[in-house]
Amino acid sequence: MTKLGRNLVTGLMFLVAFLFVSPVGLMLVTSFKPESEVLNPESVIPRVWTLFNYRHVLGWAEEAPFGRWLLNSFFVSSSVTLLVVALASMAAFGITRVKAPGGGAFLGVVVASMMVPGQLFLVPLYLMLSRLHWLDTPAALIVPATAGGFGVFMLTQFMRSVPEAIEEAALLDGCSWLGVFLHVSLPLCAPAIATLGIFTFIGSWNDFLGPLVFMDSVRNYTLPVGIALYQTSYYTEYGLTLATSVLATTPLILVFMAYQRQIVESMASTGLKD
Amino acid sequence: MAPYALSFLTFVIVPVGVALVLAFMQFDLTARDQIQYVGVRNFDDALKDAYFWQAFRATFAFVVLMVPSIVVTALAMAFGLNAMTTGRNTVRALLFLPGMFNVAVAGILWQWFYNGQFGLFNFALKHLGLPPQPWLSDRDFAMPSIVVMSLWWGLGGTSVILLAALQQIPRAILEAAVLDGAGHRALLHRITLPLLRPVLLFIVVTNTIGAFQVFGQPFLLTRGGPELATRGVVQYIYETAFNNYRMGYGAAMSWLLFAVIAVFALVQYRFLRRSAH
Repeated sequence: MTKLGRNLVTGLMFLVAFLFVSPVGLMLVTSFKPESEVLNPESVIPRVWTLFNYRHVLGWAEEAPFGRWLLNSFFVSSSVTLLVVALASMAAFGITRVKAPGGGAFLGVVVASMMVPGQLFLVPLYLMLSRLHWLDTPAALIVPATAGGFGVFMLTQFMRSVPEAIEEAALLDGCSWLGVFLHVSLPLCAPAIATLGIFTFIGSWNDFLGPLVFMDSVRNYTLPVGIALYQTSYYTEYGLTLATSVLATTPLILVFMAYQRQIVESMASTGLKD
Repeated sequence: MAPYALSFLTFVIVPVGVALVLAFMQFDLTARDQIQYVGVRNFDDALKDAYFWQAFRATFAFVVLMVPSIVVTALAMAFGLNAMTTGRNTVRALLFLPGMFNVAVAGILWQWFYNGQFGLFNFALKHLGLPPQPWLSDRDFAMPSIVVMSLWWGLGGTSVILLAALQQIPRAILEAAVLDGAGHRALLHRITLPLLRPVLLFIVVTNTIGAFQVFGQPFLLTRGGPELATRGVVQYIYETAFNNYRMGYGAAMSWLLFAVIAVFALVQYRFLRRSAH
């Protein structure tokens, strides 16, 4: 391609990128508009800047406890992330280092299970969680989420690409398996664990169907379900629903900005592995 | 390994078993202790259920519109990104950003854009002197509108994967072909696209699997309307199991959807594999 062509494409791509993020920008500025201006926009930039929407949203107490949803989401997503990282790294260590008998076959079953679409689990999980009396508690969103195969798959792949020599040396020096795991393998896998952690957190934060089905009372909703169901009641009050959206999205945007390269690049490599 | 194995057994293997058993049971949570073996009746019912077929048509319409458009646009984005002289990483991140949003947030945003009375799109049309459009309230408009929103939401991830594959093509191969007198077209058709084929296969199959399971976007934008035109299979399963509490029937329909997805994935895999040679 000629230099001119490349420059034209570059300009065009910036335009596309602008179009892609403009809804986000619109959401942000519009959330600071009074409702009258939201419904009858004369300009993109608010004529009157107001915090009314945010004050109203954060002031919702009984019917839509926004702060409570935010806490629920944080609690659920952090717990899921910690547990997934802990369980998956232990399992990957058991398969690739301790070489537990049947580890390879187990990994095969785990990978095969990743092909089963999530909707199939909905009904049986609901019935099981109801038997456990976990419905409408955070446990319903946290504990089953630790069973996903992605983390184990990803970490075994990573550990296999790291030479075992260091761990063997540590074993020879009299270090226990536990010691090797904690002091050698985990630090070696830090980049992969960080990526897994970020992906798990985002996935859990954005889970919609799970909390929609397993949570019953308004105060136990996570953020996405809370705002989605309240969108129905505040249907046409777009200023309010946009403010809730901004508040629900900000933590993720911060995570994204901090780890942008890592997130985009690990996503990019998912297609290259097979 | 043991703690994970325990969790995996409890929350993956057992549910699949439960789902399998349930599919052959009548189990309605509304009627007490009403669990009873009914053989293949649930499957039989589903195949005779006009609502199931309607839901299937809606899901299928989404798949047929969504998969080709996301593959083609993502390919265009990947080529565009690859040709950029500067700012590639910035644009890549900005394209990726919408995918970070929860489907609820994306849904709220686009419902506001699409709203017939107060929506941004119709507001813009009015300013241009054009008539307003029934973005979500017309049977024929609703699904394409949902697809456009889904493209905005999902394009970044797919483009990024294709870009990575594009960047992995060794420069030497392309340069050798140019030396041999290959033009742009030949380069694209003979070298770039064939080398991208494995990744394209991955993209097509994963996007198809995902599209068959569409739920959040129509659920939030239209609740499945107008006149159930956008109510897909997953939403119908959700309503059957959790609004009408017919667990056995819901489980049976889940297996039917799974079977369709598996068949499509296998056919695409076989077909695209073979056409590589």
